[in-house]
Amino acid sequence: MARFLVRRLLTMIPVVLGTTFIIYAAVYALPGDPVQSLAGPDRAVSPAAAAALRSHYHLDSSLLVQYGHYLSGLLHGDFGIDFGDVPVSSLIAAGWPVTVRLALTTWVIQAVAGTGLGVLAAVRAGRFPDLAVLGGSTLILAVPYFVTAYVAQIVFGDRLGWFPVSGVDAGWPRSYLLPALCLALLGVPEVARLTRAAVLENLGAEFVDTAVAKGAGRIRVLVRHVLRPSLIPIVSMLGLTLGTLLSGTILIEGIFNLPGLGYQTFQGVQQHNGPVVVGISTLLVLTFLFINLVVDVLYVVIDPRIRLD
Amino acid sequence: MFPVLRRRKGVRAAAAGAALSVLAALTGCGADGVGRAAPGPDGGSFSIGVPAWYVAHLTPGRAGKSSVADAIWTPLTRIDDRGRAVGAVAQSVRSSDLRHWTIELRHGWTFHNGEPVTARSFADAWNAAAYGPNAMPYGYLFSDIQGYTDLNPLKGKPKRTTLSGVRAVDAHTLKVTLSRPLSVFPYTLTSTVFAPMPKTAFKDLAGFDRLPIGNGPYEVAAPGIKPGVQQLTLRRYDGYAGPEGSAARITVKSYQDDATAFTSFQSGAVDVALASGSRLAQARRTDADDVALSTAGGVVYLGFPLWDKRFRDRRVRQAFSLAINRHAVTRSLLQGLASPAAGIAPDTVTGGGQRACADCRYDPTRARRLLSEAGGWHGRLTLWTQADPAMQTVLEAVLNQLRTNLGITSITLEAQPTDQLYPNLSAHKADGPFLLYMGASYPALYAQAQQLFTTGSGTNTTGYRSGTFTSLLDRAAAARTTPRITALTRRAERTALDDLPLAPLYHPVTGAVHGPDLTGVHLDFLGDVQLARISVR
Repeated sequence: MARFLVRRLLTMIPVVLGTTFIIYAAVYALPGDPVQSLAGPDRAVSPAAAAALRSHYHLDSSLLVQYGHYLSGLLHGDFGIDFGDVPVSSLIAAGWPVTVRLALTTWVIQAVAGTGLGVLAAVRAGRFPDLAVLGGSTLILAVPYFVTAYVAQIVFGDRLGWFPVSGVDAGWPRSYLLPALCLALLGVPEVARLTRAAVLENLGAEFVDTAVAKGAGRIRVLVRHVLRPSLIPIVSMLGLTLGTLLSGTILIEGIFNLPGLGYQTFQGVQQHNGPVVVGISTLLVLTFLFINLVVDVLYVVIDPRIRLD
Repeated sequence: MFPVLRRRKGVRAAAAGAALSVLAALTGCGADGVGRAAPGPDGGSFSIGVPAWYVAHLTPGRAGKSSVADAIWTPLTRIDDRGRAVGAVAQSVRSSDLRHWTIELRHGWTFHNGEPVTARSFADAWNAAAYGPNAMPYGYLFSDIQGYTDLNPLKGKPKRTTLSGVRAVDAHTLKVTLSRPLSVFPYTLTSTVFAPMPKTAFKDLAGFDRLPIGNGPYEVAAPGIKPGVQQLTLRRYDGYAGPEGSAARITVKSYQDDATAFTSFQSGAVDVALASGSRLAQARRTDADDVALSTAGGVVYLGFPLWDKRFRDRRVRQAFSLAINRHAVTRSLLQGLASPAAGIAPDTVTGGGQRACADCRYDPTRARRLLSEAGGWHGRLTLWTQADPAMQTVLEAVLNQLRTNLGITSITLEAQPTDQLYPNLSAHKADGPFLLYMGASYPALYAQAQQLFTTGSGTNTTGYRSGTFTSLLDRAAAARTTPRITALTRRAERTALDDLPLAPLYHPVTGAVHGPDLTGVHLDFLGDVQLARISVR
């Protein structure tokens, strides 16, 4: 286990270097001039002001030198200063709790609703509940989730008044449930289909027949003998959906006005605030890598047959 | 075996508990009380939803013009209801030659920390805003003041830190020397960019930007702007020397998405929200009493790339302008929320509203004839605009009209973010007409004419140059009376629009929606809500 961890952590180093460089290069290679966008869309910046800004943010050196500056700062835990003179780390500190709350709420909804519907569809395969889940998932996947989000705001927020339309004033869970539900719609169909397939496969396995033959209860067979082995692909799937989920927060936090990392990334992109975009994207990549590691370790816990070394 | 069973029960209990708490959250809700208008003997409070950039910066030289900046800062002059520049902090703004100005300040004005507003406060603030290395986005507005180029040299570091043209003679007298005569100088002073700053500002400009101490009707309550906090509280300043604000407290909530701000307003989370396009049209149909409208002091125009030889012939530009049915665009597409333009400024701006452009009407027959006289159109045509859904929709309508009325078959659209589009235009890389909006930086026709048509202006997108225009505008700048300034600027406008470097299309209407318990919601010449005039019933 320890050897596995060390090996995985070592392989993460080139991945981290590569991804941060790609993010950095992509952000600063974006078409458009950050100095121009600082001045506002239709205004001319004076050359002296432009020069001052460029040297302040190292925009006047080559991409590699800029990246070097950034990386050395990053290693010291310094995410740099954004174009409004605010340390990016303070933006991250302010946005982090919001995004974690949103992501975890979403994840729980995805996991519970996805596996629940998947098991239901598998047990009633070919009958109405199965077809309903299939039809529902197709419908959900067909509608872009930001459309769902705007509609949900109007229906559940404005007309019915069940949830606040936007903002985090009402705190967790009220402010987070509606955005989390909209975001969860991205992953629920996938998780449900995968669960259905895995459960169906295991339902026909010999050890399930054995369990039934020795007289175990229906629920017990389903949970302990069918669902548990089926969880392996589901857990890795849930790990992977975190990636889509984190990128989904950019739109959802914008629409619901939640001041999280996604909101700040969106604003950073809009205002050409490179340091913010790079800082937060880097953090998200690190989180994603970490979650993948946790998922790999979880395999062992779920399935004792798997050996990591 | 048993522990497993127990664990399962535990899980079920937890799930039930979670479901219950969700139910409780669902049923136990009313509208969240935050930001509901509340009347009171002190004037009460209300909340307004604004775009996030309104509260991105609060220093005069960084913030630009917005409802929030207007509430925090009071500059030397203001625009009265008849569109004239009158004194605010200034008692008088006088000049005998329109180059050397003497500004007398009124007594009794103070900053929110009690410090008196003096001529020094203005001089210091202007120096800081104009000083290149401070990189204040609106510093360019000081470019008419003598010494601006010393603070913003084309190369290298500036040698001076103060504008040589600005001098505080005593506590209440400010002398300003401009680099050229400028009759509309009192108008330019209405911008909050020319507001004063207290001494404490210059110790930490970045910190001051987030929690400024202004001299306007409202002060910013601590902590000001903070990362992750989307709300700013304004408190009425009781020591204000001008007309006092009505409400005691204003909560400013920032929204990244205009649609969200509007839905939040509908659900009652904010009392006022800005609106435009289909949302404004919808609000006007359902709740006309609670909608405030104003024709923005700007113009949406189709600019021609004069550097492109296909557009050198004036007849081609005329043909394009005559082929566009402005009434159809404003009436059907924009649902009446715009007025067709035949000039660069509407009548809400001093000097605007005249029919300056002879070719700004709809005459497809004449358009086709002019185009064929000019040799017809050959090949592809690309139309450019900024990446904005509303502008793109309008440009699609323009495309269809050009196709139908001029018979140009191969037309494509190119939408770019503004920070990409403007550099492309100034580098002459755009190869077709472009749809853009230009708003007046102060409510005078002169501002629009200067921004759109003078050589060297950052917003002269078409690359227009004309000796006749320049001399007329220079004469307007040197004219002594307002009627004379207006007459000369109008002649300059007509001259430019005769050459037709751009075809004005329409003046957009902007609006705000508000709850029934608010009165006095007015929009100014750029469509900003005047916060101090809103009262709560």
